Amino acid sequence: MTFQTKQGLRGLLAACAIAVAASMPLKAQAETTYNLALLSDFSGPYADIMPVLAGGREAVFTWWNETRGKELGVSLNYKNYETRYDAAQVASLWPGIKSELDPIAVVGLGGPDVAALSERLPEDKIPMFMATASYGFAWKPDSWIFNPRPTYSHESAGFLNWMREQRGGDGPLKVAILASEASPAYVDMAKGLELYAEEHPEEIDLVEVIYTEVQPTDLTGQMRRVVRARAEALVIQTNTSIVVAAKRGLQANGSSIPIMMSSHNGLPASGGALGGLDQLEGDFEAYGMAIAADEDTPARQFYETLVADHELKAPWNVVTAMGVSQGLFVVTVIDHAIEANGAEGLTGEMVREALFAGPITTEETHGFLPSLTFTPDAPFPLEGLKVNVGTVKDGKITIEATGVDVPDVQKW
Amino acid sequence: MDPSGIFPTSYRSDRRIIRTRWQVLALVLFMALLLLAPYLVSGRIIAILNMMMISAVIAVGLQICTGYAGQINLGQAAFMGVGAYTASILASKTGLTILLTIPLAGLSAALFGFLFGLTAARIKGFYLALTTIAAQFLFHFAVLNLPSTWMGGSNGITVPPAELFGLRFVGETAQFYMNFAVTAIMVAGAFGIVRSRFGRAFVAVRDDDVAAGIMGINVAATKANAFLIGAFYAGVGGALWAYLIRFVGVDQFTLFHSIFFVAMIIVGGMGSIVGALVGVFIIRIIQEIIATVGPNIADSVSFLGGDIVFAGMNVVLGGVIALFMILEPKGLMHRWNIMKSSYRIWPFPY
Repeated sequence: MTFQTKQGLRGLLAACAIAVAASMPLKAQAETTYNLALLSDFSGPYADIMPVLAGGREAVFTWWNETRGKELGVSLNYKNYETRYDAAQVASLWPGIKSELDPIAVVGLGGPDVAALSERLPEDKIPMFMATASYGFAWKPDSWIFNPRPTYSHESAGFLNWMREQRGGDGPLKVAILASEASPAYVDMAKGLELYAEEHPEEIDLVEVIYTEVQPTDLTGQMRRVVRARAEALVIQTNTSIVVAAKRGLQANGSSIPIMMSSHNGLPASGGALGGLDQLEGDFEAYGMAIAADEDTPARQFYETLVADHELKAPWNVVTAMGVSQGLFVVTVIDHAIEANGAEGLTGEMVREALFAGPITTEETHGFLPSLTFTPDAPFPLEGLKVNVGTVKDGKITIEATGVDVPDVQKW
Repeated sequence: MDPSGIFPTSYRSDRRIIRTRWQVLALVLFMALLLLAPYLVSGRIIAILNMMMISAVIAVGLQICTGYAGQINLGQAAFMGVGAYTASILASKTGLTILLTIPLAGLSAALFGFLFGLTAARIKGFYLALTTIAAQFLFHFAVLNLPSTWMGGSNGITVPPAELFGLRFVGETAQFYMNFAVTAIMVAGAFGIVRSRFGRAFVAVRDDDVAAGIMGINVAATKANAFLIGAFYAGVGGALWAYLIRFVGVDQFTLFHSIFFVAMIIVGGMGSIVGALVGVFIIRIIQEIIATVGPNIADSVSFLGGDIVFAGMNVVLGGVIALFMILEPKGLMHRWNIMKSSYRIWPFPY
């Protein structure tokens, strides 16, 4: 009798265990993990901003794993690889990254990553997603490297058209460009805008194109030429040092021609180098990404969520915004790929196809990026492009304009 | 110094590079191991070996120019760039095979290097260093400012895969064998050059160019030849680089890269072909260890933060190079030769 009771109890327990196991959510039974390779530069030229940029993108992956990933039964595992911003290092790391991680996507940083991997990624069928604006030299069809922003020349052309509208009148806007030949990327930024100005003389009158050293000490003479040419805007998309020297040069000439900067050399970075944001009162930064201003925007709210719930420690600035927008760009495309193909067996090729399958809406990126529609014709969206414009008012960064249309810039 | 009991009995045996059976055995084993490497080690290691072989060709060229001929050269990366661009243009526009593109890349770089070698006939030391830095900037501005249809300008040049008799060298393993073959030829050639009359002239000019001139050596031609040969090696290395990366841009050949090549020959030992190879191995291996270990440390010691770990790794790289300079300024080959001699004459002190 006792023996029979024990047997019955065991059977009951076993049945309960099976019932409990069967009633558990699907995710707990099988969570699919995919790997992302994060290319970083903690010890090269990006060393000072890399922790902030990395913090932004990693917080997004953590957020996605804890929210959307949980629903889908997918977890994104990521690993940073130190490239020292060196193409040779990227090339030597790549076979190891492939064999160690077998990533479905690479989260890239800059030019050396593009140089070293542009011909390898199509063969390995792994897409790479960048944070920055694109370049003319990367503007090729059937790319496996994608930027959420158009070229720097697109962004400056959009800003200058907006500025011309703000000024009013029919005449073209007199513009000067300050660039450097230290890097082909800097030359590329200037060349694209030069071509646009050449093709649209009714919009932009390019009065000066000045190439200077990458770390100039004094640009007073050059700025005198810009002032004498009566430039109405000065485009500097190179680096902070050139902004500082140009600003001092303009001040020495008693001029306050507004300077337009990009995200990597924007108002906070250049203002810091100049000794305070008040030095850049009335100057602008413009790019196809959310402006990290004090206003309560959806982007700011999402940032606050990352700080409160997902261990983001980076401050609210343009570099963090770049990292967050890159992270959101990546997880949204992966999300689309999972929706199209299911959570199992996702490949890099499927991720790339998902990018072309439908738009990435601004809601999906929490207002960090405008709605993006990619085609195989270019590594960045060619239509519906927008830029946001930030400025300094009363010593604070404020949003001057959002959703400014970017004109159609021809390939150079 | 040869081991006890080994002594040359003819001029031919005296000129031998490999002097003992053990040395023959070691070389054969080393070459066999290298040839089998793609089947023995991971793709990551093969990628590192590819980079090492390309760097080795360039560093050996610099060793001939600087280590043997005493001509300081801070423009080796520019010469490499000339070779890389030449190979890229020839491969992408004419479809020539590597049998032609690689030697032509070397020749174009040699011509560019020769121009700077001519200046070495009149200046030396600090002034020569500045002139070779000028090569670096001249190359940079020429690429960016010449019509972009010539050298790609800021767009760079996309390079098709290396091809020979219909065989395409795509992937780490195929490129490894191509790099291995070229590196073996170039290193063997370097040994030949340095023990030829050219090599002896290089050493004579390095040690005392006035005395060399009195002995009948054409000092100006010797210095120019040193640059020509050094740049030829850089050009060949540049071509290999172009085929490996398959995209060349002017920012891949900077003064910073030239300085690293100089660091390689200093760490390995000036005036030694094997020293250049050892220097390449040491510097590259430190770089790779740092790139590999850094992420793992950052992952396992997460409270430190990736920024501190990676920055610390860079300090380690600089520190190791500085330590080499302080503790063994004559390079590792000098230390190795002391150890070898001590072993061979033991128990006698000298």
